[in-house]
Amino acid sequence: MRLPKFSCVKVASVEEASRLLAQPDVETCLSAGGTELLPRMKYGLSRPQKLISLKGVAAEAPVLGEDGSIQLHALMTLSAVAASHLVQENAPVLAAAAAAVGSNEIRNMATLGGNLCQDSRCLYYNQPHDFQFTAPCFKRGGDQCYFIPAGKKCRAVFMADTAPALISLGANVYVVGPVGSGSIPLEKLYSNDPLRPVTLASGEILSRIIIPARPMQRVEAFAKFSWRPGFEFSAVSVAVVLDLDEDRQTCRSARLSVGSIAAGPLRPLKAEAVLAGGRLSDKVITAAADQAAAEIHPVPHHGYSRVYLTECLRAQVRRVLHSAIGPLAKT
Amino acid sequence: MVEYTGKRLIQLNINGEQFSLAVEPQETLLEVLRNQLGLTGTKDGCGTGECGACTVLMDGKPQLACLLLAIDCQQVKITTIEGLSTGRQLTSVQEAFLEEGAVQCGFCTPGMVLATSALLTENSRPSEKEIKKALEGHLCRCTGYNKIISAVQQASAKMTRNVT
Ligand SMILES: Cc1cc2nc3c(=O)[nH]c(=O)nc-3n(C[C@H](O)[C@H](O)[C@H](O)COP(=O)(O)OP(=O)(O)OC[C@H]3O[C@@H](n4cnc5c(N)ncnc54)[C@H](O)[C@@H]3O)c2cc1C
Ligand code: SF4
Ligand code: FES
Ligand code: FES
Repeated sequence: MRLPKFSCVKVASVEEASRLLAQPDVETCLSAGGTELLPRMKYGLSRPQKLISLKGVAAEAPVLGEDGSIQLHALMTLSAVAASHLVQENAPVLAAAAAAVGSNEIRNMATLGGNLCQDSRCLYYNQPHDFQFTAPCFKRGGDQCYFIPAGKKCRAVFMADTAPALISLGANVYVVGPVGSGSIPLEKLYSNDPLRPVTLASGEILSRIIIPARPMQRVEAFAKFSWRPGFEFSAVSVAVVLDLDEDRQTCRSARLSVGSIAAGPLRPLKAEAVLAGGRLSDKVITAAADQAAAEIHPVPHHGYSRVYLTECLRAQVRRVLHSAIGPLAKT
Repeated sequence: MVEYTGKRLIQLNINGEQFSLAVEPQETLLEVLRNQLGLTGTKDGCGTGECGACTVLMDGKPQLACLLLAIDCQQVKITTIEGLSTGRQLTSVQEAFLEEGAVQCGFCTPGMVLATSALLTENSRPSEKEIKKALEGHLCRCTGYNKIISAVQQASAKMTRNVT
């Protein structure tokens, strides 16, 4: 499978890339690890005439701030994120999510920023179109959907695994852009619009991810369900971060985040409320999982039905909560 | 800032040899290895990152040649299956794949062998779980995976015996 013709500019910094992206002479696209972009180009879904490649920009190592926050460079590979002791100790939910993306080979190439800026996906959209799907669907600017032919809008889902983990951690992202740079909560990066899931404006690039300081009594966990890890994206992924009281049994606040079941990552706020302010018991965990399954209506995708995904979500929420507080339950 | 438009000479370090090659920006490392250098041990499977057949080592780390632009591979040492052994002497990993019968058609084998070599360099005594995690991006349609896992275990045993 060949790539269409393009020219390529290799830049030395994110700022330089942003300047070039902001004033394109021809249709231009940013490439980091290329693990999502190149397949899309091979399928003919993206046809930039020019690539701005970040491959020559070295990723800086993660930094632990004086206030206990962690700064990660957007160009770190997912292997480096998963293997970082700083991340493993201070944000294990992110280390687990990074380790769950694709295969070892993919993680050695893929970047954290590229993962957060992934396009939404669909079984029909993400394949070659030339001979099977000649008329474009909504996501390619057309007026029909192959997945739900009677549907009036696109139902592609956002499947990046590190996004729910970082949202549970309350992370911010630092965006470099032509009209100014600054940080925004990661949650604000997602539009919930399958046609344009990431809200970055033209020329804007993620340069850093900032994870707030870890309180003493924080526990966290991540779970991804898919039939064939290493090849398949998540059917559902769930991340949880719980802040506990001194007794390490009472939950002060909870952040749950669910990926792969909608056009953006979702937080089941009522399920979070079930967990907050009480002692964590099996009963509370079951109630929170039931609440999450009641308030989130998964978009069926990649052959998984809505009922299946709802049950899967219920099971995964129970699973992450047990795995987050597991060691405590025994004390 | 470096701009690549049209064909241009690039330098690649492959299996310890330096090559000067004329490539287009859109050419992948996989295409250059197979079509220009005749190094056909790196297999062209899916072309989209799903099968692991095109795995090569970049500074010792397994990556996918079908998703790498050749122009992006200039500052690294690339090892393909052809560069793994010295002369006619097979590596312990290659021997173990032969002895365990972990090869049938051989299409997945170069990728599997390179990924295994990288794994054992980092972790000479991997658990079964670690082996499965390291090889999870490699599809084999023939032998199944049991013999491949045994081969990795055998290579690990051989290598650690040689060391001690
Ligand atoms: C076989 C296979 C399996 C996969 N499995 C998974 C999986 O299980 N889970 C998962 O989440 N993903 C998976 N992926 C998708 C992909 O590998 C990841 O999303 C990866 O992290 C993308 O990073 P990248 O650096 O390669 O991005 P690229 O492909 O370089 O870029 C992806 C997109 O993000 C934009 N972009 C990149 N960097 C930035 C930045 N710093 N700022 C702004 N925009 C940017 C690019 O313009 C492009 O649109 C898989 C891919 C393959 C091929
Ligand atoms: S769900 Fe969206 S991407 Fe998939 S076929 Fe329908 S319109 Fe296209
Ligand atoms: S050919 Fe590269 S992963 Fe299949
Ligand atoms: S031996 Fe034939 S694909 Fe693995």
